Amino acid sequence: MKKNSYRNPVGVRKTTGLVLISPFIVGAFLFIVYPFVSSFITGFTSSPDHSVSAAFRNMLGNDDLGKAIGVTMKYAALLVPMKLLVSLLVALLLNVELKGIGFFRTVFYIPSILGANLAVIIMWKYLFTADGLVNQLLGTIGLSPVSWYGDPDSSLFIIVLLRLWEFGSTMVIFLAALRDIPKELYDAAKVDGCGNTRSFFSITLPQLKNVIFINLILQTIAAMQEFNAPYILTNGGPLSSTRTVGMLIYDEMFRYGDESMANAISWLLFMLIAAVVYVMYKLTAKMREEQR
Amino acid sequence: MKKLFLMTTILCCMISLSACGNKKSSSVTAPDGKLDKCSLRFSWWGGDDRHDATLKAIELWSKMHPEISIVPEYGGWDGWTEKVASQVNSSTEPDIMQINYDWLVTLSPDGKSFYDLETLGAFLDLSAFDSNVIDFGKVSGKLNAVTVSVSGRSLFYNSDVFRSLGVGYPETWNELIALGNTFGFEDIYPIDLDIQSGSTAWYLAVVYVQQKTGRQFIAPDGSLGFSEDDIRTALDFYKELEENHVIRSVRARTDEDGNAALYQSSEFISGNVAGVLEWGSAVGKYESVLPDGVLEAGPLLADENGNNSGWMIKPSIMYAVSSHTKYPDEAAAFLNFMLNDEECAEILGTTRGIPASRYAEAALEKSGSLNGLAKECSDILDAADTFTISPYMELPRMKSFYNAAIESVSYGTADTADAAKQMYSSVSEYLENIRK
Repeated sequence: MKKNSYRNPVGVRKTTGLVLISPFIVGAFLFIVYPFVSSFITGFTSSPDHSVSAAFRNMLGNDDLGKAIGVTMKYAALLVPMKLLVSLLVALLLNVELKGIGFFRTVFYIPSILGANLAVIIMWKYLFTADGLVNQLLGTIGLSPVSWYGDPDSSLFIIVLLRLWEFGSTMVIFLAALRDIPKELYDAAKVDGCGNTRSFFSITLPQLKNVIFINLILQTIAAMQEFNAPYILTNGGPLSSTRTVGMLIYDEMFRYGDESMANAISWLLFMLIAAVVYVMYKLTAKMREEQR
Repeated sequence: MKKLFLMTTILCCMISLSACGNKKSSSVTAPDGKLDKCSLRFSWWGGDDRHDATLKAIELWSKMHPEISIVPEYGGWDGWTEKVASQVNSSTEPDIMQINYDWLVTLSPDGKSFYDLETLGAFLDLSAFDSNVIDFGKVSGKLNAVTVSVSGRSLFYNSDVFRSLGVGYPETWNELIALGNTFGFEDIYPIDLDIQSGSTAWYLAVVYVQQKTGRQFIAPDGSLGFSEDDIRTALDFYKELEENHVIRSVRARTDEDGNAALYQSSEFISGNVAGVLEWGSAVGKYESVLPDGVLEAGPLLADENGNNSGWMIKPSIMYAVSSHTKYPDEAAAFLNFMLNDEECAEILGTTRGIPASRYAEAALEKSGSLNGLAKECSDILDAADTFTISPYMELPRMKSFYNAAIESVSYGTADTADAAKQMYSSVSEYLENIRK
């Protein structure tokens, strides 16, 4: 029997590929797999009786944990749908063939590049103080100033607004998917007498189902891991209304020096995200199947 | 492939388990009695006045000892504790560090994270320090840190604002509360208290109750001296300050300043907030944002009988050497320079408070620079019957209990009785666990 052999079209040896990707593999083991395993061991075996159950008991005894999970879920529930909606609307606007549209696409993407920059978060911080630009603008249209940082209900909204402003990445994915929808479908619909609204709901949305799902998952994961913005903008206050699980992990680890608790909560967050993603996957399975 | 994955996972577990062992097991470099060519990292926190003076002192050191270069690492107080804690936990801390008193409890509970400075006598002269001041830095019999200055918090006021309103600085608690009305007409505040990393709101309330009862909130050994009723009295006092327009409510303060430090806020710089409770060793940053001579030290608040006890002092700043340093002699020589050198003392002035070293204090006296707010604060506290702050009082977890209680009272989400009950339970339980 003839032995199957792989012939590389560019004439390199089989091991060359492995050598070339080895920096990634080594990096992944050093900076992903090792910390992952190490975190589990630190979190769940350094409790007084070295048992996982004791670590869980210890973690559940943390008064701040329940509130932090509540804040994180509320934040994700507020941000993700709004971000998907805004990104999709802007993507639809930018999906027109117009002279200079590339410029507008770039402009809308800029906040996403700047968003990760702490300087922008600090700028954001000064926009919402009592006499900040936002309250001044509200004043010019006759509205009374809002207690952005002091009110536990509005403080979380500032962080939602900041992240909503950074819709560029989500929008780019939508835009790419929109451009992939065959034009013939719209032409056929037009022939059949469909208006724009009907075309959107009967062609655009069904064609975007999988992309919406991907964006939903990616944004949910990012929202549930939120740390930077509440840390810089509100430091978790007032009344812990912006203290996300990410901030709690930071506090336990660096402020209170409780390595074990911080790692255990990190694992809990990991499991929580996995559970939420699994539920989303299951809930949307039928809908996604229908498209095939 | 499965085998490879399994093997790698097992390997990772083994490495992790070994990493969970004693991180401080690396051997301590013994002093060799001579100064070698090397580079040392030195870190501190503070305001611009302290940064500028310290950089100039390092410049002088470089001229005197070109073979030992000092790499400065410095920044503001916010976030500094977390930075140093992560450095110490990962054994990447600088060779020489400016540390806070409570870090001895959190970072070196067994006295092994910092070098035993008593073994570095060849280059570090400790004879200029009182023995009780030396004792502040001892953990498990090892001298982990040397006290740079002993300081306490007292009240400092914007003299321009007080003069424009025609009022004097308050001397009693009742006078302070009465000031709220005078200032309220102008919609400004006589002082500011916060629930940030300094927890000044709880600090002043503690002083009030300590003066009233004669009991210390937390004893130096970490035992809780206040009862639930005492905590409630402190919270009631805080509420009274807010209700009488002496301080801004937590909500108003948060709206105006976000989480910015007071000395960086427009409210303080513009005089809308006319006073601050601050350490004598750190008041320079408030002084520098106002015109020269505007910030003045006020008297310690007393009861109606003139009793001004209850105020507190502590080693406000300490220096420690990492137990991982490869150059203990050189680090000791640099510390000696920073603590005892006459020329260096003149450059540093009182940016770290009034020096605990008699040599440095004499140098400042000789040069006529032993003055300013730090000196005034020191004199005021020296004249009072003070408590020495327990390092347990300043632990970050403890501060989170104080701040949560103050915040809930300020926002009205709990009355003072419920907040006191919750805080008493949290503080007692935590102290019990940490002292085991």
